[in-house]
Amino acid sequence: MLQVLAIGLISAGIYALFAVGIVLVYRGTKVLTFAGGEVGTAALYVAAFLVTDHGMPWVVGALAAVLIAAAAGLAFEAGLVRWSREADPVVTSILTVALSATIFATEFNLHGNNPTTLETPVRIGSGLDVDGVIVSPIQIAAIVVAALLGFGLQSFLRRTDFGLAILAAADDAPATLLVGVRVSRIRLVLWASSFGLAAVAALLVEPTVGFITPGYASTLYLGGLAAAVIGGLDSLPGAVVGATVLGLAQAFADKYFKGLGLSGLSYVVTLTLLLVVLLVRSYAPEIRKRLAAPVEVTA
Amino acid sequence: MTAVTLPLNKSLRLQVPLLLPGLVVAIFLPVLAQQTSLLNEPHALTLTGGCVLAIAGLSLNVLLGYAGQISLGQYAFVGVGAFTTGLVTGVTDLRLPWVVGLVASAVAGGLIALLVGLPALLLRGLYLAVVTISVAFAASESLFRVDRIGGGSAGKVVPPPYFGTHALNTSVDALTIGLVVLVLLLQMDVNLVRSRLGRAFRVLKEDETVASSFGVDVARYKLTAFALAGGIAGLAGCIDGTAFGTIQGQSFDYSHALALLVVVVIGGLGSRTGIVIAAFLTTVYPPVLVAVFGDGIRGWDQTINGIVLMLTVAFQPRGFAGAFRDAAEHRRMRQGGEPPLPPTRPNLPDLGRPKGMPEPRRTKGDTAVLEARDISVRFGGLQAVDGASLRVDRGTISALMGPNGAGKTTMFNAISGALSPDTGTVRFLGEDVSSLPPHARAARGMGRTFQLIGLAKDQSVYENLLIAQHLAAPYGVLSALTTVGSRRWEREVRQRADQTLEGLGFGRFRDTPVGRLSHGQQRIVEIGSCLVTSPELVMLDEPSAGMSPAAAEDLAATLIDIRDQLGRTVLLIEHNVPLVLGTADELYVMDAGQVIANGEPLDVVQRPEVVRAYLGEVVA
Repeated sequence: MLQVLAIGLISAGIYALFAVGIVLVYRGTKVLTFAGGEVGTAALYVAAFLVTDHGMPWVVGALAAVLIAAAAGLAFEAGLVRWSREADPVVTSILTVALSATIFATEFNLHGNNPTTLETPVRIGSGLDVDGVIVSPIQIAAIVVAALLGFGLQSFLRRTDFGLAILAAADDAPATLLVGVRVSRIRLVLWASSFGLAAVAALLVEPTVGFITPGYASTLYLGGLAAAVIGGLDSLPGAVVGATVLGLAQAFADKYFKGLGLSGLSYVVTLTLLLVVLLVRSYAPEIRKRLAAPVEVTA
Repeated sequence: MTAVTLPLNKSLRLQVPLLLPGLVVAIFLPVLAQQTSLLNEPHALTLTGGCVLAIAGLSLNVLLGYAGQISLGQYAFVGVGAFTTGLVTGVTDLRLPWVVGLVASAVAGGLIALLVGLPALLLRGLYLAVVTISVAFAASESLFRVDRIGGGSAGKVVPPPYFGTHALNTSVDALTIGLVVLVLLLQMDVNLVRSRLGRAFRVLKEDETVASSFGVDVARYKLTAFALAGGIAGLAGCIDGTAFGTIQGQSFDYSHALALLVVVVIGGLGSRTGIVIAAFLTTVYPPVLVAVFGDGIRGWDQTINGIVLMLTVAFQPRGFAGAFRDAAEHRRMRQGGEPPLPPTRPNLPDLGRPKGMPEPRRTKGDTAVLEARDISVRFGGLQAVDGASLRVDRGTISALMGPNGAGKTTMFNAISGALSPDTGTVRFLGEDVSSLPPHARAARGMGRTFQLIGLAKDQSVYENLLIAQHLAAPYGVLSALTTVGSRRWEREVRQRADQTLEGLGFGRFRDTPVGRLSHGQQRIVEIGSCLVTSPELVMLDEPSAGMSPAAAEDLAATLIDIRDQLGRTVLLIEHNVPLVLGTADELYVMDAGQVIANGEPLDVVQRPEVVRAYLGEVVA
């Protein structure tokens, strides 16, 4: 029981890290980013190039990876998204799918399917023993960082001028422009931080997997995507909660299915949970309308 | 028949025969090419891959290009088709023929896609994208890796089809089969686009509310699009399995889903020709690259595809086909564009009820066409309509007036079924239609227009007149795909559309997208579309809005024609007082969600409560 809980929370931390980056861009642009997984993987390759191939300290490699990912975010916004002929969130989302495909293919062409290793200061296999599952400090860090980001960024968006400008730009960009906010700058910051966050997430995830292959973060990223949607897409704390629910559900389902001799069904669990939450939510207004008496609002 | 001239390109396009020459080419070209040693087995296998991608592209085109439903996981259904073929034909003691596998692959693809389509009834846009991408992952990472389905690491074997006792097990055979299926599907696609099914998809893609006002059952057609697309993708899977002989789970992983997106987006959503060309180009060029630049370049085609996809999505989102259309458009514009239309008074023909729509049942002695009672609608804290009732008698024009925000359009929506009121009943021709969806009310003879023009704006005037007759051509999906049993219906609706077009005086705008017309012209087309099925009740929401005074006078004459010449009943929302006084037999005035006055128009507009609602109280 405790074992399953620990496994569930470890994946929850991973999903939450990705989900926070997804929700951040969604709140600011209404675009759903599908590219974070590959951006994170590519950042890991950068770190591995510096650390494994050129013997630099991990901290340097990690920092460079995050910075390069953020720069890629800037370039993506300034070079493509901004100039899109149809400035429609769905079209831009498809654009991120294309970006993801491009990065994946390039990783594959450069490295093939051979696993690349990245020497991390903290190794898996030592740390807190939870009923037989060893939870390493970096996994705890992933969970803590995810939770901090989820709740911290939320109050940043709500309480600061810049945060409010981000929300306003998402709602009505022309109107926000008219009151004197530079919407283009906001978008640059959002894409840069989203790609940077994807790199941070990938760096924190890497020790759990232990090696890097093309596209390896993508499957985890899909969990983040699902977690973000389960959490309501526009709520950062919701994303963290969604990730926790998803991580635990997968862990418990895996244990149950293993008892039945089935394995590898975690995507089916993700899909089912996603569908249930989405359907319940889209029916919710109808249900509420039928259950609750209308509330009088004074004009 | 009316003398409407077809533009040259359209009439030419209709005359290009596809099926027979296509089949001849599909059957004989591969064999011929092999005999003349232009085609070897590896080449044939590559080209078969092109067929698979082209068929999968057609499948995504039906769903996304025609019906506007996003799916990022369409390739999963190719996998479903492949494994179904393997499962069905692989049962050794049954020895089912290959054709059974082919049919089963389409059925399985269609059925599973139908399940995936269910959430699409409630989800739109990006949510649908996330769900379908999750389906793809669940299928490729979980389902196809289950040993009983995917055959484990050895994969699933697909036995070859037999022609008599001769096994069709070479790659050239597979290519022939793939091409035959592709040609058949292309013909089906042509039929689909020209049928009521294709029209329903197009209007659905643009505006679901407008679609249901024309009688399109939105939920049913969305599911049809998913099932049809799933079935086509399933066929692609069967061809894939047949070509390779064994299928493995990882053949359907996410990178293939992206290859499909590349084909559909670069080829151009909605263009079957563009997609087929893109499918073959993207499968043929990588081996050519390797042949020219050596082995080092192997795999880099994927990177190139990705970059081209990014550039296409950003700068030419309608793909190559869209670029060609844009170029043609520019040429036309340079040649002087289309001449403006002098304002003419439309002369609507009396078409009678179409054969496909039975005359509505009428209760004897009851003169009421419409009776709405105690309608209340609340939006959050706003009571938009508050216990309003109205009654419209046969062969009259009734008008609904009221200041902005009085609840007139909400009342209209409650009557037509576009929203369901919190309380109240709607009776139409004596029947309680309160619980019916809008398309069912349209089927009973309720026609309506919208304040902001309820037409498919990207479609031509003629196309809109056909879309509006969705219910008048009641043939099924199979007829739509094969044209068997649809021709006589199509003849009738096209004739009615021609007559209406001529009556409106819009012959020269036949192929102009509605969105290019002026607001007033769009309004006339909308009224024409509403009347093309001769509905019993014609509901018009602010028809004179945005019209010049002269055009409004013409409109008044048209309204009287609708009542006196066509014998229809009219209910209209209007702000133009002279228009109302000149046409209406009965006037209802709403304010703050309630009907505050009704009766003879000249009398009603002078009542103090009506004047107060419009002008306010005089403060002494």
